[in-house]
Amino acid sequence: MSVSDAEHPVDETSVNHSSNHSSSDEDALAELRNLLFGVEQRQLRQIQERLEDPKLRAEDLGKVLAEAVVLQTLQENEQLTEAMVPTIESAIQASVKKDLTVIADAIFPVIGPASRRAIATALEATLQSLNQALENSLTPQSFAWRLEALQTGKSFAEVVLLRTLLYRVEQVFLIHKETSLLLHHVAAPGVETLDADLVSAMLKAIQDFVRDSFNTSSGDSLDTLRFGELTIWIEQGPQAVLAGVIRGNAPYELRIVFQQAIEKIHQAQGKALADFQGNAAVFEASHADLEDCLRSRYRHKKQGNTAYAWAAMGVLLLALGIFGFFGFRARQRWATYLEQLKAEPGIVVIEAKRGWRKYFISGLRDPLAVDPDQLLQPVGINPQAVVSQWEPYLSFDSELAATRVKDLLKPPANVSLSLDEDGVLHMSGTAPRAWIAEAQQLAQFIPGVAQVEVSDLIETEVELESIQRQIEDQILQFQEGEAAIAPNQDESLQTLVEQIKRLTTLAAAFNQTVQVEAIGRANNNGSEAQKLALSQSRADAIVALLTSAGIEPESLTAQGIGTSNPLQNQSGISTVEINRSVSFKVSLTDEASSEISNP
Amino acid sequence: MIQKKICMVGAFATGKTSLVARFVRSIYSDVYQTTVGVKIDKKLVNLNNQEVSLILWDLHGEDELQKVRMSYLRGASGYFLVVDGTRRSTFETALALQAKVEEIIGAVPFILVLNKLDLQADWELEEGAIAQVIQQGWTVIESSAKTGLGVEEAFLTLTQKMVEG
Repeated sequence: MSVSDAEHPVDETSVNHSSNHSSSDEDALAELRNLLFGVEQRQLRQIQERLEDPKLRAEDLGKVLAEAVVLQTLQENEQLTEAMVPTIESAIQASVKKDLTVIADAIFPVIGPASRRAIATALEATLQSLNQALENSLTPQSFAWRLEALQTGKSFAEVVLLRTLLYRVEQVFLIHKETSLLLHHVAAPGVETLDADLVSAMLKAIQDFVRDSFNTSSGDSLDTLRFGELTIWIEQGPQAVLAGVIRGNAPYELRIVFQQAIEKIHQAQGKALADFQGNAAVFEASHADLEDCLRSRYRHKKQGNTAYAWAAMGVLLLALGIFGFFGFRARQRWATYLEQLKAEPGIVVIEAKRGWRKYFISGLRDPLAVDPDQLLQPVGINPQAVVSQWEPYLSFDSELAATRVKDLLKPPANVSLSLDEDGVLHMSGTAPRAWIAEAQQLAQFIPGVAQVEVSDLIETEVELESIQRQIEDQILQFQEGEAAIAPNQDESLQTLVEQIKRLTTLAAAFNQTVQVEAIGRANNNGSEAQKLALSQSRADAIVALLTSAGIEPESLTAQGIGTSNPLQNQSGISTVEINRSVSFKVSLTDEASSEISNP
Repeated sequence: MIQKKICMVGAFATGKTSLVARFVRSIYSDVYQTTVGVKIDKKLVNLNNQEVSLILWDLHGEDELQKVRMSYLRGASGYFLVVDGTRRSTFETALALQAKVEEIIGAVPFILVLNKLDLQADWELEEGAIAQVIQQGWTVIESSAKTGLGVEEAFLTLTQKMVEG
């Protein structure tokens, strides 16, 4: 400003002077002017030059432009922004028209996160509706998952995803896009890998092959290869691609992990990627990013598997337990049965074995032995399950021989038979003479009987006579003039009752009936008629007593004979006493003849 | 360690695959070549105490140029132009291929391999034509995949050219 202020008066002066003076004056003035304003004039010229030279002006403007834009922005003046919009828009359009990849490469790291956020929002909504849909379903599986969701605190849908998506990333390749050379490679532990350099090149070749072969549009790329349960995911970046080899069913989230990895690698090593000349050592730095991609969800699968395995094992053990228990019990029962059979007389087990569901048994059996089938039910074996074959034989077992003896000899009720171990048949009791003779003869032919011992056997006929005699020897006494039995005669009466009963039983064996006649007597006191009446009363009284003691009335008769047939003195009892009495007369008659004589 | 992608280019049945087989043991079968159109192998070369890993892309040879999948050439640091010495036409194909390859991947080191040296009696190549390309600055190596003659030399020379270039 100082320059122009100074210049102005000088100019005026020069104009005023030039109209009045000569040219020499002008020169002098010019010189004076030069002397006075020489420096300023040079500066003026420079300024003029700068203003007229566009290159210099651009340089100047460039120096202050950034500052000017910042100042404008700070003043919140939107004019500048609005003014710049059309230019920037057309600049971008021009750039895209010229080379799409420049912009694409520049915004690549931004696009991933932005689109992921949008997708995540959409996915969340989908998950929620999926959640509802699943919550409405009532399958047993959904109950199990719901239980797991409760236990783990995860959402139900998350559990469903976990249960359905199981995978393992086995290898990750970082491949240079231009040269298809391998930049870095990581593999999960225990994964067998072929030469990664070659695999990397081949992967790239396959991508090229697909692109060239199927006329795809230029921006497209092969991003998934699937072979059985093996999937190869290829994540494209501008300079490099990331290829993950996944076994199983990988979830969408994994794709995001891959995308983030390739983005991070581009951010960190963009320059190294662009300048790559074949030396991959620098990409060792991407190791962590690649390793982060080696994810797996085996754990959940294993848990599920072990749960099922445990359940299956449990069921198996239970089944084995039940099977074992029943097997054990069946063996026990069979053993018990065999034990019992062997203890049975007349049964010889030769062979016994267990089949799959049947038992087989064979041996010898005496017809008199117990039926083996009858022993099955009590020990709990189904008779239908037993196939048995018994050959008949004759057992010399003493018990069976005794049974056989009884069957053959048919001994009378009061005969007891016993066969000792030496085969001696002991008979005791009372039997008719004829039976004894027959039995003695028969017994010799019975197997198992070696000898017959009959010394304890009494012939019925002998006993019969003996008892008859004993009854007839009985005298029941009475007091003088009394028709009731003397008080001290109870015992004798009792004996008499037993004797009559025994006699009746023995006689029955010979088909004979017993008739006991009570004969009443009196001594010499009183008239004949009185004596007769008293003696009759005494006989009647005894018959009544015997009847009440259980003797059949038909086999009893009473008769008073007074003094007509007095008893003779006996063993110190006076004749008077002995004839105040009742004595007995026994007669045995064949049943047939008695029936004839009765009517 | 430096890695380099190199391609085997040449007309059908000039012995490209045999040259690679002479040089390296492969994990992929030859079937790839006719299916995908390329077979990839690897060879470690020791050049002045420096290990160089060569990734060999053996392209399926076709006599018609357009049938070679040019996309497989991208990113190659060098290539072999393989000619069957007993068939003159393969030399012409090689010349045409060279122009095509250079158009796609630019001027990278390459070697003209005159193969089937073991059948030299049947060679049809003209000395003049070969002298001409040598004059242009091409490196020409005679080889026999059958006897192994010149094979190692060819690979080493190309590696050297790539590493130095």
